[in-house]
Amino acid sequence: MNNSYQALPTTRREFLAWGGKGIGLLAFSQFAPSFLVQSTLAATPSPEKDRSILVLVQLAGGNDGLNTVIPYEDPEYYRLRPTIGIKKEEAIRLDDTLGLHPSLAALHALIQDGRAGIVQNVGYPNPNHSHFRSSEIWETGSESNEFLPSGWIGRFLDNACGGAPGTAGTGGDPVAVHVTNELPQSFQSRKPQSTFGIRGGGNGKNRENLAFLEKLVKQDDHEANANASFLRATMMDALVTEQRVQKVLGGYRAESAYPGSNFAQSLRNVAALISAGMSTRVYFVSLGGFDTHSNQVNNHANLLRTLSEGLAAFQKDLVAKKLDSQVLTMTFSEFGRRPNENESRGTDHGTAAPLFIMGSHIKSPLHGTPPSLKLQKNKDLEFSTDFRQVYATVLDKWFACPTDQVLGKTYTPLPFI
Amino acid sequence: MKLDLSPQDAWQPLPPSQWNEDAARHLLRRASWAAQPPEVARLMTEGLKAGLERLFPAKAGLLPKPRLISNLEDALPAYAAKIRDAETREQKQVLQREQRERQQQAIQDLTIKWLQFASRPENAVTEKWAHFLGDIYVVSYEKVNNPGHIYQHYDTLRQGGLGPAPALTKAVSRSPAMVRYLDLQDSKKNAPNENFARELFELFVLGEGNYTEQDIKEAARAFTGYRLRPDGFHFAANQHDERPKTVFGKTGKFTGDDVIDLAYAQSAAGRFIPAEMAKFYLSEAPLSPAYLATLGDWWRSTGYDLRQLAHRFFASRLFHHPAFRGNYIKRPTQLYLGLVLDLNINVAPYPRHSLNTLRLMGEEPFRAPNVSGWDGGRLWINSSTLNARRQLVETIFSPVNEENLNADEQVEVVAARSQGAGTFTVTEERLEKMLQSMTPEQITARFLDYFLPVKVGEKFRADVLSFLTGETDEAKRLARLRSTAVTLLQSPEYQLC
Repeated sequence: MNNSYQALPTTRREFLAWGGKGIGLLAFSQFAPSFLVQSTLAATPSPEKDRSILVLVQLAGGNDGLNTVIPYEDPEYYRLRPTIGIKKEEAIRLDDTLGLHPSLAALHALIQDGRAGIVQNVGYPNPNHSHFRSSEIWETGSESNEFLPSGWIGRFLDNACGGAPGTAGTGGDPVAVHVTNELPQSFQSRKPQSTFGIRGGGNGKNRENLAFLEKLVKQDDHEANANASFLRATMMDALVTEQRVQKVLGGYRAESAYPGSNFAQSLRNVAALISAGMSTRVYFVSLGGFDTHSNQVNNHANLLRTLSEGLAAFQKDLVAKKLDSQVLTMTFSEFGRRPNENESRGTDHGTAAPLFIMGSHIKSPLHGTPPSLKLQKNKDLEFSTDFRQVYATVLDKWFACPTDQVLGKTYTPLPFI
Repeated sequence: MKLDLSPQDAWQPLPPSQWNEDAARHLLRRASWAAQPPEVARLMTEGLKAGLERLFPAKAGLLPKPRLISNLEDALPAYAAKIRDAETREQKQVLQREQRERQQQAIQDLTIKWLQFASRPENAVTEKWAHFLGDIYVVSYEKVNNPGHIYQHYDTLRQGGLGPAPALTKAVSRSPAMVRYLDLQDSKKNAPNENFARELFELFVLGEGNYTEQDIKEAARAFTGYRLRPDGFHFAANQHDERPKTVFGKTGKFTGDDVIDLAYAQSAAGRFIPAEMAKFYLSEAPLSPAYLATLGDWWRSTGYDLRQLAHRFFASRLFHHPAFRGNYIKRPTQLYLGLVLDLNINVAPYPRHSLNTLRLMGEEPFRAPNVSGWDGGRLWINSSTLNARRQLVETIFSPVNEENLNADEQVEVVAARSQGAGTFTVTEERLEKMLQSMTPEQITARFLDYFLPVKVGEKFRADVLSFLTGETDEAKRLARLRSTAVTLLQSPEYQLC
């Protein structure tokens, strides 16, 4: 055990960082009760009203961009999509050449109101067609041939951007919350960060067990390997946060009618935490099923409807609660799909695709340029906007965070904020 | 602990002087679900080599086909006709819903039957191996939608899982669940679907970076004509692209099987399964390429024999090295089945108990999140999954209200009891019986040494003892005993193996 005496942690965050190094938990245990009571049970730290929040919406499986934003005047589109293409008269007009999938009516209304927008044809050089690898590239913000151990959000948190982590006032709030069973790769950080996942019912029925467990978690008398330290820090964090979050979700009164889908309910939970004044900076929600290799017409229509109606209910709720100016929502997917449909009335893995941005700060509806469809069979789209330009815009203009610290270099931001 | 073995020494057998009870426990915690004392004793008697011959036998035990699945298969043709002939749309929808519900029940039943089968000590190691192979040759019920096909897929993995890998891969390419999961049945002569060919190279045989996009496009043509009929796999010659293809620089009128052989002719194939084994059994941090290369070259020379690979891997100095002791995060199925074995109880035959918890912990059998299976390692752990892990322990230590079970569940409970497998929970009485006439110090020692894979220090031990003896009210003494066991099983240390 390391007995060297270091300056005592003054914030819960510092304490967690100590725990990750495997040295702090014992030292900490002596004054834990008063500290935890102070930071988590007493008055919630005053929420900073102008604090910017990002909600990431993952469309898992690879969303078919060409059937999301439809170039309805382009004969090439109908050549590539003879059976599954969205007909001109069905597309919801965005401008003289582009329209939205008919399932996206609610999102279209937001775009008309100036509360949502589209970044077209987003991708990266030398695209990879593997779900796993391409998700990794998007979530870590890496080059196609580069392997990064941490996610872009994780590095944002590590860099203490926007003054959030490491400073007083963070209290017991997690810095990032995911509404998925697994921790998103985007959240993987190099330093321990207090992320939190919502799923499953918490139960604190046995207080004496909890107190004993807390004691064991802090007991640091045997050599802890890296995974043991990680488990301790995560469990400590979970024990503290658990009670608060369940209370917030249980007592939430939304200002809009959320659809019953898991996706919409996840967004409702995000709205609940935001509206409770949690100092959490990033939320992560996922909608799966976009890997539409065969018979995609109905499936894709249902998925887009779920997406559109969920997002609209969320935005309406935020507006009614006057929180919309604090929140930026952004979708992403590991890749778009092959421009030409396959023989199974579906689409194979592709490359670039549009993504949606939503919030009260969105400047003009369309950003970037649409892809060229003059393509031979089985050829992929050539991206025109790098996904890291989108990240750079968020980091730079939304979070006021030096982009190069997170992305390794600077990218030209887009004018959507 | 630093891994200080040379690539030459790493895969040599563990010297007999280092074979002891700690090593046996390590082997069982990693290759099986838990280290039960009788199993440790048995391994000590027979020795490492003979022990591995038994644990990884030439033929794995086979899970019998569950009754609900046979019933479903028997009823399928009549049911399909009924749906087809339904007079109104509403009737059709009712029948379809009924069918979906029966399928749902059958897949739940299969999952329970699998957990029961896998929890028997004689099957534990080979079933974990089948589970490992199922995390490579991934299919998911979400897309396959046919419980019989899922059963058959895992049967294929059990039957071929300890033979040559190329034969297994060929069998998997004809597994109806795989044909459906990776869209082979939609792949046509003039429009090959690339899904299977891509995953064959990336996720089954070679790994990312060892093939080109062109290899995939050409290989996809070789797998055209794979179809499903009600009685199983069928090769439709008229949908097969017979023209020459060029894969890995070789040109010929290749079939799907030829392409699999071509893939195994690549040297990367030798390293791929060993790397996956290291990730599944040893450490989430990738093993250094130098180690994989040595083992991979040797494995190629055996004709990719999976049984020999398992024997060599689990007997090796590398596997038994201190760098890999007590520091691997248990996957949810291992946590669940390990609790069943550690506590000498049986898998509860109702889904609410087991399946729901597995789902919340992030690993629902037969429902992998995506084509590459579960990521595992630290990704198993976050605040909500940890919460679910704690909840599971609570559930196991809480009596079941059998009046709340539905009729089907009660039938299953009766059946399990009649087979002597009817202990689903740990009651306070049972706990006391297990520990009767032991002093608090002995009980503490038993809990710590038996449950935890790491040696804790004196302060930890003292904390446990003082909590255990901290209740003076005799009426609450048993409850305190229960609380002690529950909390230790919820501790960070118990999440490791």
